[in-house]
Amino acid sequence: MELVCLGLNHETAPVEVREHFSVAVEQQGDKARELMELSNVTESVVLSTCNRTEIYIGTEQAEQGAKALYEHLASDHDAVEMQHLYQKVGSEAREHLFSLVSGLDSMVLGETEIFGQVKQAYQQALESGATKGLLNKLFQKSFTVGKRIRTNTKIQMGQTSVGSVAVDLAEKIFGNLKGSHVMVIGAGDMSRQVAQSMLSRGASELTVTNRTHTRAVELAEELGGSAVTFDSWEETLTAADVIVSSTGATEPVLKASQIEAVRKKRKYRPLFLIDIAVPRDIESGAGEIEEVYLYDIDKLQMLASEARASREEQVRICQQMIQEEL
Amino acid sequence: MESFAMDKWMLLIATLLAAAAAVQGANYVRRGIRSRWTMAWMLLCFIAQMFLLGMRGEMRGACPLGDLGEILIFSAWSLTMFYLLEGSVYRLSLLGVFTAPLVSVMLGAALIPGMLDTNPVHIDHADAWGEAHAAFSVLAYGALGLAAVTGVMFLLLNRRLKNGALNNALFKNLPPVRDLSRVVNRLLVLGFAILTLGLICGLVMEKSGDVTKHLAVALCQWVAYAMLLTIEWRRGMPPRKLALAAVILFVLSLLIFPLL
Repeated sequence: MELVCLGLNHETAPVEVREHFSVAVEQQGDKARELMELSNVTESVVLSTCNRTEIYIGTEQAEQGAKALYEHLASDHDAVEMQHLYQKVGSEAREHLFSLVSGLDSMVLGETEIFGQVKQAYQQALESGATKGLLNKLFQKSFTVGKRIRTNTKIQMGQTSVGSVAVDLAEKIFGNLKGSHVMVIGAGDMSRQVAQSMLSRGASELTVTNRTHTRAVELAEELGGSAVTFDSWEETLTAADVIVSSTGATEPVLKASQIEAVRKKRKYRPLFLIDIAVPRDIESGAGEIEEVYLYDIDKLQMLASEARASREEQVRICQQMIQEEL
Repeated sequence: MESFAMDKWMLLIATLLAAAAAVQGANYVRRGIRSRWTMAWMLLCFIAQMFLLGMRGEMRGACPLGDLGEILIFSAWSLTMFYLLEGSVYRLSLLGVFTAPLVSVMLGAALIPGMLDTNPVHIDHADAWGEAHAAFSVLAYGALGLAAVTGVMFLLLNRRLKNGALNNALFKNLPPVRDLSRVVNRLLVLGFAILTLGLICGLVMEKSGDVTKHLAVALCQWVAYAMLLTIEWRRGMPPRKLALAAVILFVLSLLIFPLL
């Protein structure tokens, strides 16, 4: 009995193609059963998620089984769409499934949702009687591999972009960002991204200030916050939990003495300062204040690159573990 | 003799359970995984401590706070209890991993020969105020001890956040600094309230022998915590200073044990 996998994913096909191949989650089992009626297909599992549709079959002869499956799919899709499909046979298909279950093939490396989705697809195929010896053994094994990888590696840890590192840090300081007040100094693109990430994680208030007030107003409107003029933003310092600064100023915009002046009023609440400007906007002495956590662009980039290096190392470890299981 | 052996065995079991929680928890932290077993180990340890205190209480015919060993056990029990309450309500990750070593050290210290009276004197007439004073005081140690443990967690995380040393399994699993700071504050208030009850009971209990030194030390401890909380309440205080004060005051409080 040989194994064949035919499918497409977010890397090989755009969403307009992927949606044509998608199968409703509750119909995965029926579809798998339906495929067993094809000649040379003795068992099958259909997996369909927002990022991929994959069909695994067990067949007496890989070439003929793959051909039957390909022709079946071609009857519903045009030639251009069919070009997006990939085909994996034998140990290559096996390795692919193990990587998939471990989150190595996901858009967000190491994400765990795919594990449950594969499990659900297999369960439905099993319940509809579409699986036999080969696929039962293969999928059971893949779940063991997936669990082993998640238990023994740190594949899902660490953020790899400056924006996501900043948001992770904010959560490490404040926990839930719900109710947090974010202040943006300078309406640049980078600060917009960071502010957007903070808002998406629950920050409830946003204040924007910029030398050109109209730009501050535009950004505030776009993100659902309020704008203050550049000569009056200091009043917001008492209420802010996170300050993102990215102006083009050549002198520090925020000085340690300004924070010192409002510490008591702030009741020594933690203050997270993100300085993504070059030259820097926030005086480095601000980071020496006990409850202030100051991160400049270098620090953030270093953390992001450390996480990237760590991810690469983890991927290598995961691949090694998969090879051991094959 | 049989009873002696039994209470020692129970103490050993409780110590091993706390040590298991500490070792397994540390191992999980090192591997970057959240331990799901720490609370179970600590719950078992808590049960063992309850049996142990029950045995000692029966031997004494009073609250088992008659020797240094019993005070250590009672304090460890109180610390474990507050951990189980705080940990399960607020789900502070790693709190158990940090609490377990302290509990195991306290219980381990009680195992040292001479700490636990082999044949404790059976008390026929116990002064209720005296018993309440001892019980409240040791309960307060549990809450204040857990405040110190949480303070240590805060200080570790704060240092890492300040230095940007973040790629570490311990950092990833520690709760946010704001949560830790709030828990330190809450436990200090709770511990102080119980300590106050203990002190009031101490003032009205029957006095015998040389209690002046004991009372003076207890009052100093109470005043120190009162000052800390008053400053925090009236003026506010940087969370790092509060955490550091919680740790220092608890360490100093432990030094009171030999004076009891």
